[in-house]
Amino acid sequence: MYNPEAPDMTDTKPVTSPLRSKLLTAGLLLIVLAVIPGTLSVLGKSYYTQVANSALIYCILAASMNLITGTAGLLCLGHAAFFGIGAYTAALLATNFGLPFVVTLPLGGIVAGLGGVLVALPTMRLISIYFAVATLGVGEIIHVTLLNWVPVTRGPMGVQIYDPITIFGHQFTSLLSIYYVIAVLACISIYIIWRLTNSYFGNALRSVREDDQCAEAMGINVVKLKIQAFAISTFFAGLAGAIMAHSIGYISPDSFQFSESILILAMVVVGGLGSLPGGIFGALLLILLPEVARGLGDLRMVAVGVVMFLSILLLPKGIFGEVSAIDMARKQFNAAWGGRQSVGWK
Amino acid sequence: MDTYYLMQIINGLSAGMIYALIAIGFTLIFGVLNVVNFAHGEMYTIGAFGGLVCITALNWPLALVIIAALAAGGLAGIVLERLAFKPFRRFQDEASLKSRAMREATLLSSLAVSIIVKELIQYFFGAEMQSIPTQYLLNDPIPVGPLSFSNGQFLILGSSILMLGGLQYVLYRTRIGLSIRAISNNPLGAKYVGLSVDRTIIATFAVGSMMGGAAGILVGLYYGAIFPSMGFAPSIKAFVAMVMGGLSSIPGAVVCALILGVCEALATDFMAQGWSDMVAYAFLILTLIFFPQGIFGARRERV
Repeated sequence: MYNPEAPDMTDTKPVTSPLRSKLLTAGLLLIVLAVIPGTLSVLGKSYYTQVANSALIYCILAASMNLITGTAGLLCLGHAAFFGIGAYTAALLATNFGLPFVVTLPLGGIVAGLGGVLVALPTMRLISIYFAVATLGVGEIIHVTLLNWVPVTRGPMGVQIYDPITIFGHQFTSLLSIYYVIAVLACISIYIIWRLTNSYFGNALRSVREDDQCAEAMGINVVKLKIQAFAISTFFAGLAGAIMAHSIGYISPDSFQFSESILILAMVVVGGLGSLPGGIFGALLLILLPEVARGLGDLRMVAVGVVMFLSILLLPKGIFGEVSAIDMARKQFNAAWGGRQSVGWK
Repeated sequence: MDTYYLMQIINGLSAGMIYALIAIGFTLIFGVLNVVNFAHGEMYTIGAFGGLVCITALNWPLALVIIAALAAGGLAGIVLERLAFKPFRRFQDEASLKSRAMREATLLSSLAVSIIVKELIQYFFGAEMQSIPTQYLLNDPIPVGPLSFSNGQFLILGSSILMLGGLQYVLYRTRIGLSIRAISNNPLGAKYVGLSVDRTIIATFAVGSMMGGAAGILVGLYYGAIFPSMGFAPSIKAFVAMVMGGLSSIPGAVVCALILGVCEALATDFMAQGWSDMVAYAFLILTLIFFPQGIFGARRERV
C-alpha cells in the first residue's frame, strides 16, 4: 500500500511565479470557453461546431487512454468498447426510461467503469502483449454484443435519442450551447485526470510502467493499482461515450469498433505516450487533420496512418514526449495548482 | 453420425485451414523477431487483390492466379519488413530484441502500416465488394455419397496441406529453414556463428506473407468476397489460434486453428450468424486466463 500522506517536495521553489501560471490557465480556459465558441458563432457554420464538439470528446478519450497506456504502460486495444458501453448505457437509459442527462451521464461512466473492473480482474496479471491481446478480444466481444443483441441494443440500426440535453430544467438545443456543455465537462475531466497523473497515484503508476517487479518490491500493490487505473480510465471513456450519445443524438455499433480504438491509440502515440498535453494535442491533430486535409478527399485516413507511422519512426517519444512535457508542465502549469513539484523523477 | 454435422465439420476444417495458413505467418514472425505483426491481415488482403487484378485485367488461369497471389504476398511481406520493422532493429543485442519499448514500437508501426495499406486499397478499388467472374468462383458442387461438398473446399484443404508440407520441407531440409529455426531459438548465438540475421528475417517475412496471400485469394474465390477490410476478421481468428497454440509453436497454431474452425462451424448450429464470432474471442480470453503459456505451450518466459 502507498501512503497518500507521504511527504512530497513542497519545499522546492516553483519555477515560475504562481501569478503567471494562473494567468496561463485562465488564458487557456478563456480560449476554450470564449474565443473558440466566439469564432465558431462568427463563422456561423454549424459543421465547424460539430467538429469542435467531437474534437473535445476525443480529448477526453485520449486523456483517459493516456492514463492507462501512457502512464501505467498497459497497451489497451479495446478502449472504444468502453466508450461504446458508456454511450449505449446513456442512450438506452434515456430512451427507455426517460432519465435526464444529469443521471445518464454519470451512470454511463459508472457502468463503463464497472465493465472495466470486470475486464481487469482476470486480465491484470497478463503483461505487455498478452494484455493488449486480451483487451482486443474484450473489445471485439463488446462490439459483437452491441451488434447482435438486437432486442436490447437494436443491433445495426443504432439508437436514436430524441430528447435534447437538459440540465436542471434548462434545455441545450443549439449546437453552441451543446459545445459549452461538452467544453465544461471536458475541462473538468481533463483536470481530474491531470491531477491524478501528477499525484502520488500517478507516480506509482509510472513506477509500475518502468518496472513492475521493482514497484512490487517497494510495497506497491501492483495489481490493485492497475485495476484502479483501468477503472478510472474506462470511467472517463464511458463518460465521453455518454456525452457523445447525447450531443449527437444517434449511436450505432460502427462507432465503437477496433479501428476506433486504433484511432484513440494513434492520438496518444502521436502526442507522446505518457504525456497528457501530448495526448490532447494528438486528439486535436488527428480529428482536425482530416478536416484540414479535405482536399485530399478519400485519402485523409491514409494521412492519419502516415502521421502515426512517421511519429513512431521519427519521434519515438511523441510530439510532447513525457520528459519534455514534464519540463513544460513544471515551467508553465505546475505552480498554478499549489506549486507541488512531485511530477516525474527527481 | 448425422450427415449435416459431417458437412459442418468439413466446412470448419477448410475454414480452419485458412486460419492456420495465416497463423503460421504470425507464428514464424513471432518466433524469429519476438514481435507481433499487426499488418499480417493486410498481406491476406494484398494476396486477394493481387489475384483479383490477375483475373480481371489479365485473365490468367487459376493456377497462375494463385502463384501470383503467393508472389504478391511475399513481395508485400518484404516491403513491410523494410518499412515497419527494419528501422526499429537498430540494436541487435538480445536485450533490445526482447525489450518492451522495441516490441511496442514495431507493434504500433505495423498497425500504422496496416491502416495505410487498407485505406490505399480502399482508395484504388473502392470499399464495396469486388465482383469475380463466375468461371473463377470455387463453388461447384461435388457430391460424395449422400454429402455435397464444393470444389473450393477441396482446393483449400489440398493446397493448404501442400503448403504446410512445403513449409516443413523449407524449415527442416533447407539452409534458410535451418537459420530461421536457429534465430528463433537463440538470436544472439545464431548471429555469433555467422548467420545473416537480416536475410533470415526477410526470408521469414516472405514465407509467412506468401501463405497469408495465398489464403486471401483462396478465400476470395471460394466465398466470392474480396474487399479492403477482409483481412481483419480472419487475421484476428488466426491470432487467437496462435495465442492458443503457445505463440511460437507451428504445430500448436495449426491444430488450434483447425479446432477453432470446426468449433465455429458447429457453433452456427446453436447461435445466430453474428454471434459465432464470439467463439473465437471466448477461446482467446479463456486461454489467456487459464493457459497463459498456450494449450500446446512452447515453454517461453512470459515477458
